[in-house]
Amino acid sequence: MATSLSLPRVQSANPVPGVLRLVPGLALLVAIGYAGKVLERMVNTYTKTRHLTFPNIEYVLWAILIGLAISNILTIPKIFHAGIATYEFWLKIGIVLLGSRFVLGDVLKLGGVSLGLVVVEISLSLLLMTWLGRVFKLRPKLTTLLAVGSSICGVSAIIAAKGAIAADDEDSTFAIAAILALGALALFTFPVIGHSLHMNDTTYGLWAGLGVDNTAEATAAGALYSDSAGKLAALAKTTRNATIGFVVLAYALYWAKRGQASTVTNKAAFLWNKFPKFVLGFLGISLLVTFHTFSKDQVTALANLSRWAFLLTFAGVGLRTNFREMSKQGLRPFIVGALGEVLIAVLTLGLVLGAHRIWGI
Amino acid sequence: MTSKTNEKHKSFRLSLDAWAVIVAFALALATRLDIFKKVPW
Repeated sequence: MATSLSLPRVQSANPVPGVLRLVPGLALLVAIGYAGKVLERMVNTYTKTRHLTFPNIEYVLWAILIGLAISNILTIPKIFHAGIATYEFWLKIGIVLLGSRFVLGDVLKLGGVSLGLVVVEISLSLLLMTWLGRVFKLRPKLTTLLAVGSSICGVSAIIAAKGAIAADDEDSTFAIAAILALGALALFTFPVIGHSLHMNDTTYGLWAGLGVDNTAEATAAGALYSDSAGKLAALAKTTRNATIGFVVLAYALYWAKRGQASTVTNKAAFLWNKFPKFVLGFLGISLLVTFHTFSKDQVTALANLSRWAFLLTFAGVGLRTNFREMSKQGLRPFIVGALGEVLIAVLTLGLVLGAHRIWGI
Repeated sequence: MTSKTNEKHKSFRLSLDAWAVIVAFALALATRLDIFKKVPW
């Protein structure tokens, strides 16, 4: 992700060997994650011993808040950037290991429900964002990027679509800025709405997975509600991610037909290329757990490893979110994104509540 | 390296997704071997 918002990738000209360059940033992610755990325990003990009424702030929120404070108050030295940028890698590892918490039957059942909801969500979101883009007279390719980003998979989808439809850097930066800013807002608004509507973990988790755009933020928004909701949010979001190839292919064909992008010669290769491979890893681990390859204690250890991988991700989400940078990106794409997101959030909320009534999820 | 060699070299590079799956399965194998048994999570 080489945008003005994200942290720069490792440059090959750097004299320090590859893996060593990741150490400072990685150490920072681990330190923030650990500090989140310690703070959760300390605050809980303090409030309990003094009989104070204080909401239980989970380590997830502490990790995000510490990251946010560091990135918005201080300037993060360059030496940390490469390591911090690995948060996406930990996210994917966390999702693969999360497979240990679903036997294949659950994946098929919940994944099936998610897939049904995802198809409806993506279709309506794409139509809605395209319409909003036209109303606000955004550049057509910027509208496409915002539509792809808000309907499927946030930043990854925008990057995948950018190459496929030959969009320029400015458009993708705008779209990424809007999606990231709105993802940060969703982190704090979704749990509040969920609690005020007394949603159960399953419906809330599905809603977070369908309504929040970026995978890291969707998982965090779920985990902020409860551990079980976080698990469901990641599953629903992973289902959404799996559709990325089909939507990007459709847009690539559309822009190629208009002569504004190169033609797609091998559609199957295109789909495989865009398919998020970690989904297969998730299914693989789930399959191993289903066939009792691991003992109960080992499954618990896998779940803990997954939680730790997510914790590093959440620390990275906080560190990556810089409100000053976001405010520089222009208002119109943000307004279109925000309007679209609010409508998509309402729409997906209606979808999961409907599914809850019909299928009792 | 010529551009052709570069191209060939590039095709052998694993994606972030592939690395994530490899590392996750390595962690799963380590778990199966009880390496994390005494970790205070």
